[in-house]
Amino acid sequence: MRDRILESKALSYSVAIFVLSLMMMPIYWTVVTAFKPDTETYVFPPVYFPSNPTFEPLRLLFESYPFMDYVANSLIVTVSTTIIVTVISMMAAYGISLYPFRGGRVMLLTLLATRIIPPLSLLLPFYLVVSYLGLVDTLLSMIIANIYLTYPFAVLIMKAFFDNFPREVIESAIVDGCSRTGALFRIVLPVGAPGIASAGIITFLWTWNEFIYAFVFTSTSKAQPVTVGSYDAIGDIFVNWNQMCAGALVAALPGIIFVFVAQKYLIAGLTSGAVKA
Amino acid sequence: MNASTGGVRRFRLSNPRYGLLLNIPGLLIVLLWVVFPALLLVVASFLQYDNVHPVSFTGFGNYQRLWNSRVFGISVERILVFSLGSTAMTSLGGLLLALCLSNVKKGGGLLRSLMIIPWAVPAVVSGLIWKWMFSPDFGVVSDLLMKARLIAKPLSIYSDPALAMWGVIIADSWTRVPFMGIILLAALLSIPEQIHEAARVDGADTLRRFFYVTLPMIQGPLLIGLMITTIFSFRTIDIIIPLTAGGPGRATYVLGYYIWDQITKSLNFGLGAAAGVVLFLITSLITLGFVYLLREK
Repeated sequence: MRDRILESKALSYSVAIFVLSLMMMPIYWTVVTAFKPDTETYVFPPVYFPSNPTFEPLRLLFESYPFMDYVANSLIVTVSTTIIVTVISMMAAYGISLYPFRGGRVMLLTLLATRIIPPLSLLLPFYLVVSYLGLVDTLLSMIIANIYLTYPFAVLIMKAFFDNFPREVIESAIVDGCSRTGALFRIVLPVGAPGIASAGIITFLWTWNEFIYAFVFTSTSKAQPVTVGSYDAIGDIFVNWNQMCAGALVAALPGIIFVFVAQKYLIAGLTSGAVKA
Repeated sequence: MNASTGGVRRFRLSNPRYGLLLNIPGLLIVLLWVVFPALLLVVASFLQYDNVHPVSFTGFGNYQRLWNSRVFGISVERILVFSLGSTAMTSLGGLLLALCLSNVKKGGGLLRSLMIIPWAVPAVVSGLIWKWMFSPDFGVVSDLLMKARLIAKPLSIYSDPALAMWGVIIADSWTRVPFMGIILLAALLSIPEQIHEAARVDGADTLRRFFYVTLPMIQGPLLIGLMITTIFSFRTIDIIIPLTAGGPGRATYVLGYYIWDQITKSLNFGLGAAAGVVLFLITSLITLGFVYLLREK
């Protein structure tokens, strides 16, 4: 009897839904607050279902902070980093996985070791280099930092995908007169697309979500990304909570969208990059 | 590596020089982006490098100062409490969700999406959101706990050191449960049904099968998840910065926050570099421990 209850679908659903409801509470609370007028924000006990939803906080956010600039900065940094990292890591993973060379294993171990180094430790040397190069408060400084932060994991994800790639397919293509680079573009890319998409999406999100490096490297809205911008909103003595939540929503939007439209790739990337490598 | 591939074709495919060529840009990234900054970090840790004195070599001077510093000692103690708490809560939450989700079919995709969302939210934004949730004046956490009659008046994580540590641990685990859940769910789903069937035929009940079949089968991924969660909890301060800023007092002043303060406030770069090296060494030791455990798998 006890076993039947423990293994029942009903119990699994109940526990999962209960735990997930708790986990969704911060998201719900952010969304609700972002559309509350001040009168429903600054009250206790709090209002769970706002009766007068309004776009006012969102409007004020873009009016009183250069939030449009933050979004633009984030987009430029994120898209550039994603393209650079995806292309370079794809080449590296293709080479390591399908054309084994001396030192390939060492390269792989180095990449794994790289992930052990805390980015927080390298923040200082990176800052010294960035200021030496005169790149403080530029978008380029963040692109440089994010390449370091995302490249190793991207290679590990794609290598895991290429390792499962049927070598025979490439071999016969090459026998049929296809060049190795041709094989990459005509066969490996289409078939390996899920792996490349996984690595690309995770690189995109990590870069978009990065805060520590961006905070130290930037000081004005000329270069500050959304994460730094949202944090700045609470820097004042008085916190505009509903505007802060509106900002949080904008900052979290790409992540939430990707979770729903690309869940499969996220899961595949996170498990293969972590476990198989 | 199998013989059926045929001699000629294999010969044509394997071309080490091509593999190396493809890796040259990546090699440059590793050298310029990782090796060079790492060396620079070590060098800086041996320098007297602050905004008062001229830069000079001090040998192990910074490390000596860390060793004698009361604040640094506190930060090491705080990071241990934080990391243990966060990793424990993350593992239990992740395992519970993975077990439930591995048992459901209909709607599983949606439930999985919901589980991943906290992972996709920028960590600093999570910290901001939790700061709002924990607000002593308008906080929803206080209200829910009061409605459940668990507390009598609103609680403030900003005045109670023990509550503050709980606050950052809860907020941090919230962002980490998804990753743990994903890894464990994949591991659970890869256990062949026949193994459960065989154990059932042998008369093992649910709990026994969990401890003697399921847990051993997912031991590898579980250890990897624990390793990643532990080393990430050592390096992440994105949540603590907006949530408590290390306070009240030094209640949540973890090792990472000490480094952060040296770089952004005290501007003692030498000391910050030395603390960065210590953080790296601690993380490496933990990793080696886990690798040793994993080796036997």
